[in-house]
Parts: sequence; structure tokens; C-alpha cells
Amino acid sequence: MSKIGLVIGREYTSRVKKKSFLILTLLVPVLMAGMGFLAVWLGMENDKHQKVLVSDPRNLCDAKIYIGQDENPPATFYFTQEMVYREDFETMEKYKDYDVFIALDPDVITNKTINGLVREKISSNTERYIAKKLEMRLEEYFAIDEGIPLDKYRKIKQSYKFNTSLVGDDPEDLGCNPAEIGQGVGLGFSVMIYIFLMVYGGMVMRGVMEEKQGRVVEVIVSSVRPFDLMFGKIIGIGLVGLTQFLIWFGVVFILMIVVQPMFIDQMAVSQMDLGTQMIPEDVAAQMAEMNCIYAALYDYINWPMLLIMFVIYFVGGYLLYGSLFAIVGAAADSEADTQQLVIPIMIPLTFVYILSFSMIGDPESSTAIWGSYVPLSSPIIMLQRIGSGTVLIWEVIISLVILAGTFIFTTYLAGKVYRVGILMYGKKATWKEIFKWMKHK
Amino acid sequence: MEMLRVEHIVKQYAGHRALDDISITTQKGEIFGLLGPNGAGKTSLIRIINQITGPDSGKVFLEGREIERSDIEYIGYLPEERGLYKKMKVRDQVMYFARLKGLSKSDAKRKLDEWFEKFEITSWYDKKVEELSKGMAQKIQFIITVLHQPKLLILDEPFSGFDPINTELIKKEILEMKKNGTSIMLSTHNMNSVEEICDSIALIDNAKVIVNGSLKDVKKQFRSHTYAVQFRGMMFGFANALFADFSLVHSEQIDDDTAVAHVKLLKENSLNDLLRTVMPVVEIESVNEIIPSMHDIFIQAVTDNEKSRRDLFLNEKGGSNE
Repeated sequence: MSKIGLVIGREYTSRVKKKSFLILTLLVPVLMAGMGFLAVWLGMENDKHQKVLVSDPRNLCDAKIYIGQDENPPATFYFTQEMVYREDFETMEKYKDYDVFIALDPDVITNKTINGLVREKISSNTERYIAKKLEMRLEEYFAIDEGIPLDKYRKIKQSYKFNTSLVGDDPEDLGCNPAEIGQGVGLGFSVMIYIFLMVYGGMVMRGVMEEKQGRVVEVIVSSVRPFDLMFGKIIGIGLVGLTQFLIWFGVVFILMIVVQPMFIDQMAVSQMDLGTQMIPEDVAAQMAEMNCIYAALYDYINWPMLLIMFVIYFVGGYLLYGSLFAIVGAAADSEADTQQLVIPIMIPLTFVYILSFSMIGDPESSTAIWGSYVPLSSPIIMLQRIGSGTVLIWEVIISLVILAGTFIFTTYLAGKVYRVGILMYGKKATWKEIFKWMKHK
Repeated sequence: MEMLRVEHIVKQYAGHRALDDISITTQKGEIFGLLGPNGAGKTSLIRIINQITGPDSGKVFLEGREIERSDIEYIGYLPEERGLYKKMKVRDQVMYFARLKGLSKSDAKRKLDEWFEKFEITSWYDKKVEELSKGMAQKIQFIITVLHQPKLLILDEPFSGFDPINTELIKKEILEMKKNGTSIMLSTHNMNSVEEICDSIALIDNAKVIVNGSLKDVKKQFRSHTYAVQFRGMMFGFANALFADFSLVHSEQIDDDTAVAHVKLLKENSLNDLLRTVMPVVEIESVNEIIPSMHDIFIQAVTDNEKSRRDLFLNEKGGSNE
């Protein structure tokens, strides 16, 4: 095995064998899934069944609410023709069992306002349910009152949907913009790359510094070229990152396969419901949105391409930033020194990260286009454009060539700084000195 | 037979010259002492020999041919600034360094077992370095330096930080390796060990070699022609007899009629002349030449060098004023 291979092997195995690596690698997906479940669970907790008291002195509702056969209502309605006031509901013993109180004013038909009083905060789901049911019941009353057939009234009442689509896009896709969802997914990958550049770049920096602080470096460089040592370290740590990705992708892949049938169930339900009569429009909209996400996730996004590009851009970005972090590690003499020296690297990285959020919905803005070429930002920004599917293959190639050229250059510079820096004990170098080392023969 | 030859090495750092036309040669199977005050340029030279850094000009030859990258496998280097990976197991660590020096896995394993059995430390295999005491870690460090059986062993301050027991152990191993034909370059401030084990030396001061040669020759070069004469008789008479041809450096009365005098020969006088001069006045018991210790030579050479540099500097300054 070549010496650089030995260095890579050591850097890789010493990290992968660590318990913390195993724990982190397994814990993150579990933690993410756990957080998802927690959110769902917390949402469910709010959905306590509500008893709703409706004071309806004019008997507009005729004490009736339509409830579908398969419905699982989050609330039950109780009607009274008595005039109940807010204070009565708050204080009187006989209303104590009710959770929600609604007074239908005589002029509710004209002012279109229903006021409710709740004892405890209720979930927005339940609130929507109560409002929808009452609204539909009152519409019936109103239509009959005006002498209009109910179905005709609903037809007239339906609001207009306003959709725009890009010139050249498939007009069938109206109302669903998978490109945006794709970009969002791309942004997710951008965030991951950002986090990983920080984590693994930092690992390179600390690795270099530990060897220097532990004074083991001079022993090693009497056997290995300093450049090989640095490069082997960068590659070895990068492979640790890729291993971690591979495991996570595996987990996510399995999850997606598990989740897919749930989407199909949703679609089946929505189609079945459409066959019957009444689908509240917001529920229909929600379903359409789900279908759109489904379509984007499973049909629109070119996953193999996105994943391959993610790995390529991670590698490119990592080699670029990793070599810069190696410079800092070699120039610093203690952990405290790095905090100051690392600032010129952190500023562009963080700036690009923040910038990437401003591009959502606009993957073809000039910032996005320039950002996807500039090597310091392309690993983070290009993935959004790839996710949105708006980028051309030659644009990706140009961006990658620039990135490769840059990391070859920074690695070369890092090698020069590294060679001098690792043997400078006892003092922190300034950036001025670092530049001087770069010019060394 | 020549082992290492360094020719006209120059190394310039920003603002100062670390090595200024350094040339030295070491022989096969000898222990060569590389001496000099702190900051003289010893470590810079050692790093060049180890190809950690390159010289600005000059060449390094190993066994008569110009050194190549692959020759690094024939050199074992114990740097002054040394350490080990703290979190790594002892066995993995030694194997790693041995393989970096070009040993195959099986060879490395065999050598590792040999050395660990020799030092009776096989129970440390699975210990992490951070669990070892300092002395234990030093042994591992030494094993790492010599495991690949280097032809040339370079030890930079090998005894600093080693306790006396380990120092003795290392000294014994160094001498044994020398016996087996290994050439050793030793950089140290410990002049006793230089006297004890070095065959020849080079003294570097301010980027230049100021003294160079076999230990015997160097001592000859620095002999002060001073003799300790022990005699029976009157010190007064003895001192008077010396007159202008000899100088009494030091005298000491041992008992009522016995004394020791340190006498420096002046002009072209020999020991025989001295003896002839004092024999009529006292009865001589013994005569020994006072040979300077390496410690004295070191101090004298460095001081003289500084003085001549200062003079040169003043002369140049004076010259430019005229």
C-alpha cells in the first residue's frame, strides 16, 4: 500500500471505529424520525373531542348538522334555543360540560360573523371543522330562505382559483409547481452540504492541529511527504463523511419506500370522496397539494441525478473548504488560535448559506446563476438549481470545472502552508505570514 | 567508509540564514555528535537530511550517492519535538509508523514482537498511548524510530525528557546498534554523553560549522598545553624556577610537603623542557596533561566564535565610517 493510502486508512479507521461515529450516524435518523413522530403526536394531543354548545334562538339550524357516514368528527354539536350569554357560559353550572360555546346572533346571516368561546385552546383542525359545519348548515338555511337550490348556490359561491405557469411549461401542471418543491429539496441538500462542510472541515482543522500540538507530526513527516500527509488526512476524513451519507441515504431510501403506500392510500381516499357529493374546498386543496408533493417527490425530481450531484458537490466543496481549514490548522498553535484564523473562511461560507434561502422560488435569478458558478458558493447553491430541474447540463459541467480548478489550487497552496506551518511550534501565524509561506519555493 | 556527506548546504529563512555553507561527513558505524547552542541550525540541518525541508543550495549524499526520496526508509529519526497519537493503541501505532517506513505488514508485525519482547512490554499492545506513563511512551517512541532497522539513525536530543533508567537503556541500545553497523548522528547538549559515546563531532554555531573532526582530533586541537605536575618540595622554589618560559595557572597544596601545580607551556617549550627546568628544585611524583572536556571545548569554541564575529562587525562598522 502506498504511504498516502496508509495515511487515508489511519484517518478513516480511527474515526469510523469510534463509538461516537456509530452513535451519531445511527442517532441522527432516529432523532429526525423521533421529532417527526413527536410533532404528529403533539398535534394529536390537541385534538381532544369537543362538545360544542350552539345557542340558536331563531332556530336557524333546526338543531341539525350534517355528518358524513365515514366521518370521525372531532366535535359534537348541541343546540339550545335559549338565549345564552357569554357570562352564563362562563359561570353557570349547567354549561360546565361544554368545551365550546357559539352564539348565533339573529343577524348572523347578514354580518357573516360567528363568535365562539372556548374553555381551552383548541386545535386549528377542530376549529376549521366547527366553522365549516356551521357554515354549510347556515348556507342551506340562507339558500332556502332566498329560494335558491342549494347546489346552484354552492356552484355560484365557489371562488376562483388563480394559477400562473411559466412560458413553455406544461399547462397541465396548473396549480402544482413541482419545480419549486424540487428546489426546496435541493435547498435541503444545500443545508446538508453546509453543515457537512463545517463539520468535516472542522475535523480536518482539528486533526492537523492535534498532530501539531501532540508533536507527532515531525515523526510522521520524516516518513511521509507533508503534502501526502495533508492530502491523505483530507481524503480519509472525507471518506468518513461519505460513509455517513451512505448510511443515511440507505435509511431514507427505506423510509421512502415505507412511506410511499401511505401516499397512495391518501390518493385513493381523495378519489373516493370526490365521487360522493361534498368535499370542502380546503380539504380538496390540501389533497391536491399532497398529490403535488407526491408527484414532485416521486416523479418530477431526478433523484439519481440529484444524489450523484450532491455527492460530487460535497466532495468538491469539501476539498476546497477542507484545504482551507487545513491551512488554519497548520498555522494555529492552539484551539483558541483557530477561532480567529477561521473567520475569513466562515464568513463566505455562512454568507452563501444565508443567501441560498433567499433564492427559493427563483432558481434562475442572477444571484443564483452567479452563485452556482463561484466556487466558494457553488457546492451550496447549484443543488437548488439541480433540484428545481431548471439547470442545463453544460452549466453544471462549467461549475464543476471551476470548482475542481479552484480546489486543486487551494490544495496546492494549503500544501505549501502546511509544510511550513506544522513545524512552527509555539506561536500562531498571522494571515500575512501565511501568505508569505504560500510564496515559499 | 562514508555514510553521510553534506555539502555546502545553505538554508535561508525570512530574515535570517539558518545554515551557511555547511559541509560535514560521517562514517559508517560511527556515532557522530552534532553539537551547538540553541538556534545554531542543528534542527534545520537534520530536517534537510530527513528531507522534511529542502536546502536552498547544497547537496546531501547517502553512502556516496545523492539522497533520494526513497532513502527516507533507511533513516530513523527521533526528533526533539516528538509525540505519539494519544488515542491510538500502541500496537496500531507502531505498525502504522513501521509501514510508513516501508515495512510490509508481516515484517512490521515480526519486528514489533521482537522489540516488545526485548523490552518486556508485550502487555502494552492494546493500551492507548494516553494510558501510558511518560517513560513508557518514550520506549515506544524509541522503538518506532529504530524498528525498520535504519542504516542511519538521527537522534535529536535523545536523552531530554528520558528518565535516567531509560537514558541508560537507550544508550545501551545505541551502542549495540553501532556494533551492528548502524551509523548514528546524535544532536545533544549533554556533553557527558558526547564524551562517552561519540566518535567524532561537528560544532555548529550561528549557521556555520566551527569545529569538526574526530573526538580525539578535536581534543588535540583544543589542548591548552597545560600539565598537572605533582611534586614533593617547596612551591615557592617551583614557581621561581618556571621563570618566563612557563606560566603557573593554578596551584594546590596536598599535604605539608606535596603540591600539585598546573603549568602552561609558553613559546616553543615542550614537556621535556618543563621537566628539565623543575627537576633540580623539586622531586616529581607524577605528570598528566590536562585535556579539555567537551564541555570546555564547547564553551570556548562558541565564545571565541562570538568574539571574532563581534570584532569583525566592529571592524566593518569602523571601516565604513572612515
